[in-house]
Amino acid sequence: MNIEEATALAEAEIEEAKPLYKQVNNERLEFSSADYDQAVIDLANSKMYEANEKWSQDRAENYPSMVEFVEAYTEKEILTESAKWDAYVEKYNQVRTDFPKPS
Amino acid sequence: MAGSLIKIDEEIVTSAVASVTLTGIDSTYDVYMFKYENVQSATVNKYMGLRFTESGTPNTSANYDRAGKVLKSNTTFSNNAGANGTFFYTHQNLFSTDSGQANNGTIYIFNANNASEYTFMTQENVGVGASNLAWGNQGGGVFTVTSAVDGVHFYMEDTGNMDTGTFTLYGLKK
Repeated sequence: MNIEEATALAEAEIEEAKPLYKQVNNERLEFSSADYDQAVIDLANSKMYEANEKWSQDRAENYPSMVEFVEAYTEKEILTESAKWDAYVEKYNQVRTDFPKPS
Repeated sequence: MAGSLIKIDEEIVTSAVASVTLTGIDSTYDVYMFKYENVQSATVNKYMGLRFTESGTPNTSANYDRAGKVLKSNTTFSNNAGANGTFFYTHQNLFSTDSGQANNGTIYIFNANNASEYTFMTQENVGVGASNLAWGNQGGGVFTVTSAVDGVHFYMEDTGNMDTGTFTLYGLKK
């Protein structure tokens, strides 16, 4: 997704969500024109991140733990027992399937 | 010490708003503390962001650097780090609309009103959000602009709203 596409989507979503409000000095006020403009920029940036970068964070947060890796690898290499390693590989591949890198 | 926290501003959210701004930071105190409690989202799966204000207006430039640890009740802790963002994340958990699920935190701010120095902050928070998981965050950040910061702007990302919450600004008596 490029910035033009993200901005077009963001503009449509913000338009749909209007009116938006802010609270300042215990007053609830509708967004100013500048506030809406900034909301579009923020939403477009968020969409860019979701589309282009979030996969990396999702993978990092969902890969099996380092402890799991070390235990599985060690048992496979030293004890020649591969059950935990096979399970680790399955989990690892599942994360890559669940959070694909954008093409 | 009794009387060390001086309340400066308080915003109590009782109906849906996308942002809350508190101001009142000046040169009176060296350190300021923001406390927010029982913040609940009116929209599911949203994050809450934070920006510093100058003359009451949020600075949206890419000058927010952060580092911290995300403490998760259900899985391995992770990092919350990045440079040159356009805001700070207050929480790493997605907000929920479910009853009883809310977010709470404390932020200390240093050097805010000194226009010759960057503004620093430390934060600690905990919340229960989407998926009913308790997640906390410990860390801090720096706003790499030499400007006089006078407040903090909290906002829900995208088109999200918060419908409950109390935000309070205190000065720490010298």
